[in-house]
Amino acid sequence: MRRFFHMPPQILRLFLLAVGIVSVYLIARYFLTPRSFGEYGWYRGEALAELAARQPMYAGKAACEECHSDIVQQLSKHEHKSLSCEGCHGPGQAHADDPRKDNIDKSSFAVCLRCHEANPSRPKFQKQISLKTHYTGSKCTECHVPHMPSEVP
Amino acid sequence: MSKQLSRRSILGKIGAALAGVLAAPAARAAKTAVQKVFVTAGAPKGYDPTQHKWRMAIDTNKCIGCGLCAQACKTENHVPAGPYYRTWVERYVITKPKPGAAEARGEVMVDSPEGGMHGFGDPPVPKEDIQQSFFVPKLCNLCERSPCTQVCPVGATFDSPDGAVLIDPNYCIGCGFCVQACPYGCRFLSPVTKTAEKCTLCYHRITRGLKPACVEVCPTQARIFGDLLHPVPNDPLQQFYDNNRVQALKPHLGTEPRVYYAGIDKEVR
Repeated sequence: MRRFFHMPPQILRLFLLAVGIVSVYLIARYFLTPRSFGEYGWYRGEALAELAARQPMYAGKAACEECHSDIVQQLSKHEHKSLSCEGCHGPGQAHADDPRKDNIDKSSFAVCLRCHEANPSRPKFQKQISLKTHYTGSKCTECHVPHMPSEVP
Repeated sequence: MSKQLSRRSILGKIGAALAGVLAAPAARAAKTAVQKVFVTAGAPKGYDPTQHKWRMAIDTNKCIGCGLCAQACKTENHVPAGPYYRTWVERYVITKPKPGAAEARGEVMVDSPEGGMHGFGDPPVPKEDIQQSFFVPKLCNLCERSPCTQVCPVGATFDSPDGAVLIDPNYCIGCGFCVQACPYGCRFLSPVTKTAEKCTLCYHRITRGLKPACVEVCPTQARIFGDLLHPVPNDPLQQFYDNNRVQALKPHLGTEPRVYYAGIDKEVR
């Protein structure tokens, strides 16, 4: 120990400086490292839970089925069975939380055309209509039933 | 060191030990106080990220270019208005080669008006001149060796154990390195939060047992989503892997994307 303190003073000063820097780093690291750092990897584990905390806008078909099981049943027997309710009716979490008539979309003309307007880029299996040659009246629903496309109203 | 114990040295040592014991809780309290500055509220419990391996797959043969996915993503994730998309749909139009050009294929045109959010209008060339045309939905490729997480100078973006590549918005400094690093153009700097944003696989939905918004609304099941660790009966994801010859985008970059595509052309990148 005594020999240690007898090292040349310039070296001793450098040594103390190094010890000082390392201890400042260690203290800072102790205080600034987030609580959940390293829980799953080289990042803050709590970030996962924080990202998951956001509320969904789309409720999912299962939520629709809770009240509208009759319509979902009907839909499942026809060509539109693979469609999600919220694809045409828009995001429905608000409606699922508080079912009212005015917080869900009644879908319109534009919704049908979105998938069924003729476009050469669409795959051949998709049923497409050209607005110029197909009936151009006010409503698709005059001739077609969206929940049961193969039926006639 | 003196070989003999003196009263003075013993008292000194006891004092030091006592100070250490007293200082530890104070330091811990101080640490908690400091960390509160960085940490926000908690989140839903009962979800263990190590118990899932989520994967997305795209079957472009089924994509009809309705753009519902792009629109649903924008709504679900409150993506800022303007040219910012976490997922979007591209239309590829490959024209017929010019007569006598002795070429297999003509010009390749790619467009994505408003990310395809409101669907697609007429193609840029008349129908007769088109050799091939198809839609390709794009999203974060969820790379196994993601360049975007490697370049982050503050470690704000990371590859979560359940297969999503996420951004910690509290730590992102908005430098934009990751935006440049992503070879697929899947990240952007949000004009609202000034931090980087990207597809999170709808992390707030998948942790609640819901499908990502784009998968939920897709009318033709061109987007397929599933869990490799918990396959459901007739798992759409497993069926996709079983029944398709798949490929990843830009495989030569060595990013090892976990999003697989079926039915894409060599022009797609």
